[in-house]
Amino acid sequence: MSETKPAIDPILTAVISNRIDGIVREMTNTLLRAARSAVINSARDFSCGICTADNQLLACADGLPIHSFGASLQTATMCRLHDDIAEGDAFLHNDPFTGNTHPADHTFLVPVFVEGEHLFTAVAKAHQADIGNSLPTTYHVTAKDIYEEGALIFPAVRIQRNYEMNKDIVRMCEARIRAPAQWHGDFLAGLGAARIAERRLKELCAKYGNDVVKSFVTDWLNYSEQRMIHAVRRLPAAHVINHGAHDPIEGVIPDGIPIKVDMAIDPEAALITVDLRDNIDNVDCGLNVSEACTISAVLTGIFNSLPPDIPKNAGTFRRVRMLLGEGKVIGRPSFPHSCSVATTNVADRLVNCVGAAMASLGEGHGVAEGGIGMGPGMAVISGRDPRDGSDYVNQLIIANNGGPASSRADGWVTYELPDGSGLTYRDSVEIDELKHPMRFHHVRLVPGSGGAGRFRGSPGGDVAYGPIDQPMTVIFPCDGQVTPPKGVRGGHDGTRAVAWHIRADGSTAPLPPATNITLQPGESIRGLDCSGGGYGDPLDRDPARVLRDVIEHWETPERAEAIYGVALVSGGVDGEPVVDAEATAARRAALKAAHSA
Amino acid sequence: MIDTALRFRISVDTGGTFTDVLVTDGDGRMTIGKALTTHGRIFNGMREALTVAAAEIGLSLGDLLARTGLFTYGTTRATNATVTGKTARTALLVTRGFPDILVLREGGRANAHDFSRDFPSPYIPRRHTFEVSERTLADGSRPQPLDEADARRVIAELAAGGYEAVAVCFLWSIADAANEICMGELLDEVLPGVPYTLSHRLLPVVREYRRASATAIDASLKPLMQEHLRGLEQDLRASGYENDILVSTTVGGVMLIEELIAAPIHTVKSGPAMAPVAAATYSGIEGLGDNAIVCDTGGTTFDVGLVRDGELTYSRDTWLGPTWTGHLLGISSVDIRSIGAGGGSIGWLDDGGMLRVGPQSAGSEPGPACYGRGGTAPTISDAACVLGYFNPDAFLGGRMTLDVQAARDAIAPLARRMGRDIEETAWGMISIANELMIKAIHEITIAEGVNPRESTIVAGGGAAGINIMPIARELGCEKVVLPKAASALSAAGMQFADIVKEETATLITSSAGFEAARVTAVLDDLAGRLRAFLSTLGPDAAVRADIAFIAEARYLGQVWQLDTPIADPTPLAAGEVSDLVEAFHRVHERVFAVRDPGSPVEFVNWKARLRVALPTGAGRRRLAIATGTPPVAATRRCFFGEGAVETPIHRGADLAPGHRIEGPAIVEEATTTLVVYPGTAATVSPTGNYLLSCL
Repeated sequence: MSETKPAIDPILTAVISNRIDGIVREMTNTLLRAARSAVINSARDFSCGICTADNQLLACADGLPIHSFGASLQTATMCRLHDDIAEGDAFLHNDPFTGNTHPADHTFLVPVFVEGEHLFTAVAKAHQADIGNSLPTTYHVTAKDIYEEGALIFPAVRIQRNYEMNKDIVRMCEARIRAPAQWHGDFLAGLGAARIAERRLKELCAKYGNDVVKSFVTDWLNYSEQRMIHAVRRLPAAHVINHGAHDPIEGVIPDGIPIKVDMAIDPEAALITVDLRDNIDNVDCGLNVSEACTISAVLTGIFNSLPPDIPKNAGTFRRVRMLLGEGKVIGRPSFPHSCSVATTNVADRLVNCVGAAMASLGEGHGVAEGGIGMGPGMAVISGRDPRDGSDYVNQLIIANNGGPASSRADGWVTYELPDGSGLTYRDSVEIDELKHPMRFHHVRLVPGSGGAGRFRGSPGGDVAYGPIDQPMTVIFPCDGQVTPPKGVRGGHDGTRAVAWHIRADGSTAPLPPATNITLQPGESIRGLDCSGGGYGDPLDRDPARVLRDVIEHWETPERAEAIYGVALVSGGVDGEPVVDAEATAARRAALKAAHSA
Repeated sequence: MIDTALRFRISVDTGGTFTDVLVTDGDGRMTIGKALTTHGRIFNGMREALTVAAAEIGLSLGDLLARTGLFTYGTTRATNATVTGKTARTALLVTRGFPDILVLREGGRANAHDFSRDFPSPYIPRRHTFEVSERTLADGSRPQPLDEADARRVIAELAAGGYEAVAVCFLWSIADAANEICMGELLDEVLPGVPYTLSHRLLPVVREYRRASATAIDASLKPLMQEHLRGLEQDLRASGYENDILVSTTVGGVMLIEELIAAPIHTVKSGPAMAPVAAATYSGIEGLGDNAIVCDTGGTTFDVGLVRDGELTYSRDTWLGPTWTGHLLGISSVDIRSIGAGGGSIGWLDDGGMLRVGPQSAGSEPGPACYGRGGTAPTISDAACVLGYFNPDAFLGGRMTLDVQAARDAIAPLARRMGRDIEETAWGMISIANELMIKAIHEITIAEGVNPRESTIVAGGGAAGINIMPIARELGCEKVVLPKAASALSAAGMQFADIVKEETATLITSSAGFEAARVTAVLDDLAGRLRAFLSTLGPDAAVRADIAFIAEARYLGQVWQLDTPIADPTPLAAGEVSDLVEAFHRVHERVFAVRDPGSPVEFVNWKARLRVALPTGAGRRRLAIATGTPPVAATRRCFFGEGAVETPIHRGADLAPGHRIEGPAIVEEATTTLVVYPGTAATVSPTGNYLLSCL
């Protein structure tokens, strides 16, 4: 790899990159606000980006991390399968074997032609509320293959020619997807977002001319690579092997799914190599990770540990080399294995595993592991609405997996999952109760649950709900009930997930990680979400932070003393405690001595 | 009673540093007074500024106040109090089981990969949040009426804890308010005199976070703003003013002072909301149509607002502080987008070799390097100074001098690293700042489906004149106004604002199965409340009043509503909903470029907006048209992208209506500098404003 690139134009690069960023944001705004299903318009489970005609990711502002970084695989498939791509075309892609994340992410690809030349491809990807699976869930964890999974698959299928819709495709979807009107609204919104980008990119080229825009593309990718080179050069040389695992699921993956990340940091060559070939073969369930998700999860784990304003595009990615195996649960899946749950469970563990590997580079590097698992608060619920007799199916996004601590900050509370990293919106209790015949019993955080550390993980959530009047089916593919999110550099682990079925008589029964249950009126379901892992030794946490945590009920006084070694005594305003500095120092010294003994 | 006789009209805008006073007479003649804001007792600074203005008119302060028909007050007090956390000790009461509404918010954050920041604290600390046993459901049923014993126990804790205000936000109080009302009655009984806010009264909309946030903000401001506004009222009365006192609000209107004492949240962010009011007026009096983009450029921020079809545009997503990490205001407010770009924004080269501007700012202390107060970072003002746009010997009408060498020294290291000369680098900095502003304008015009090319730009703020023309050219806007009062756009807007009052109710119904009777009842109730208020304003006001109805609607399944005007509510009573449905399709198509004619339309919230037009003399005063060429006061070498040009400098005071200046040229006004770029021209209009155009 050559280190000397021609100098970029420092002003024009800034000007046009700002325009491109604006275009992606406009796509995002269009999709967010015009979409129908809650998973898009409330939970923000979508992303937009722009690739070059030669299939390099150019920009992906605000996109969900797990969605964004593999978009060029999809545009490459479009180019490979079609030798007659023309202005006015649009393609639908959701095939995880040719570049998509998982089948639920319908992706709209619009090639952008300027003066007859294909310059860009606009990419809008959105998680659908339903895709015609054999079960009413877009996360079909028990599907032994794609046939049992049941989704309609579109390997870059042309849906528009000359800006005219192929209505056959629309009718096929409407005939096979639950809540077809909702799907069609999302379909129009996704296509509209890609078309908006087409219009704006043409305006951009009209202003600057194709040649200037092309040289901008080169400059921008080189600039981004340069930023990444500087970031990697600041890391220590290292070879790290880190292990993680997805929890066992009875009857599906009885031994869980082990994960191995072999990472080499070469600051001199400014290169990070991630070798994932030594992972197990594909499993006969929906938990296989697609190539796009593997790439995105690894990059997410790396970017979480680097300066946040480094652009995320093909230029940056040149400095990360990934070695992927064929037919692996992580890597490139083999047909016909199901990748139904590719964006979350194992991929979330992979994000964590890479982030924790970065933390092992030394003080100040990496992040702890973030809360994982989609329990009752992220379940797909379905049933009949007695108010109008209609059927409903939707994913709730009201869980609260706690964010991981870093070397500089406590965990982000509304983190949700490593693959979304807090970008997703949460449901409103009132909106969920309005849309579905259900009632929440509580939604709250669990004090004292955040993984302790010099910086602590965010606490996890506690949610309970049940149906009103009619039965409700609740399906979720959880993780984190056995192996919690890990703390790093002496930080404590986060808490595990738990789920219970609460019967009408008040008795409770624990629920397995992969649950498919129908609740009767009077029954309910309750879930505790994972909290985030801590970073660094809790005995090094600033006592003022511990005090604030206790006063504000993030932490308990017992844990402040036992785990953080902070002695609190009365004497503050409003009857609040204050730190006894002397006693704290003594207590911390004693605890440290005990730990090292 | 609103006195509409055309006498003097006074508007006072108290900012963090200065108090601006504008006095207009019946002909629209404007007199300006300025003084330092006196935070201890706001009236002291106000009196000083008013005395200056009165003297210029030839009156004593007492005479001026006695002959004033309307007094409008704008204040940043509430905004500042929320930003600095100097609000009342406030308790939040919520439904048991849901204590973390303000913590959990609605999710979202700016950067997925940024783990360097702590999660934002809730507006009301968790330790000041109390759960009360009660529950109402979406259909208005109440499986659990307020548990009075539990409520009394909580109130006892509040009494013991010395709380100064109480916010009450129960789930689904908007479907049935009985539990909140009952809570209010208990508070009246046990804690008389402690102000409280009930969520269903302040903001009856669905979504618990935004309702709770608005309720908490409002309650926390009550003790402070009630004292502040009552104190001001007493001081004004003591000085001889007898008519109504109006206060500017966040919906871009003005309201009677008593209304804001009852709900002070409506004064938050009222200053920026006044800029579009000024823009609408200026665009109108210059005959430039009723679509306007207003750009207010200050030292640290660039604010953009819109006027569409003569109407202000509103948003329910206004944040106190940054989006997602600030606090959601929740109430409907004039849609203003703000970015961190202004005269103080700092230019820097990142480690990839790209030039960046902001978001860091030199602020006002030490300020740009050219101010000579010790600043060394290269700012946009320094760039303008280096390019020759500012008069270093008499900046801002001679109130300060500039250190050009310091500006050059600040930019030189950047230029060296880029391999460009200082002027090119300065030009690049301004180009990039322009781009950031253009993006902000794009975002708001896109969100509202407005075409910038068909709009008039109205520029305001002290730094407006530096870059408004390149921005306008880039957006394709052919009509640009820089008002004479550009540096005090908010105070000017207060002169033109109407009395605006909104009432809102939630009633969810769909075009398939439209509940005509209930909708009519809701609209009648909203209108009734507004008419009751109107009747207190007297007969003059009634003839100037107008009530507009708005449905917040969406396609079935969407969650974000669009404001849809109800042209005529009469057919709705008979269940004829087709006009309203068509109006929604049109709005959706304008904003998102698609319509879905087959989909049912869901109506969520219903709004009625009362507007009482107040008399203004705006635009009445036409100045004589001058002939001849505009006098040139001096020349200076200026730089406009390629090489230095000897550029004529005009003084604003020397120019008269009809004068036309073709670029390159600089116009120096007392409070702003207008750069007339090559290829553009400025003309002084008959009302004294600058009309800018591309050649």
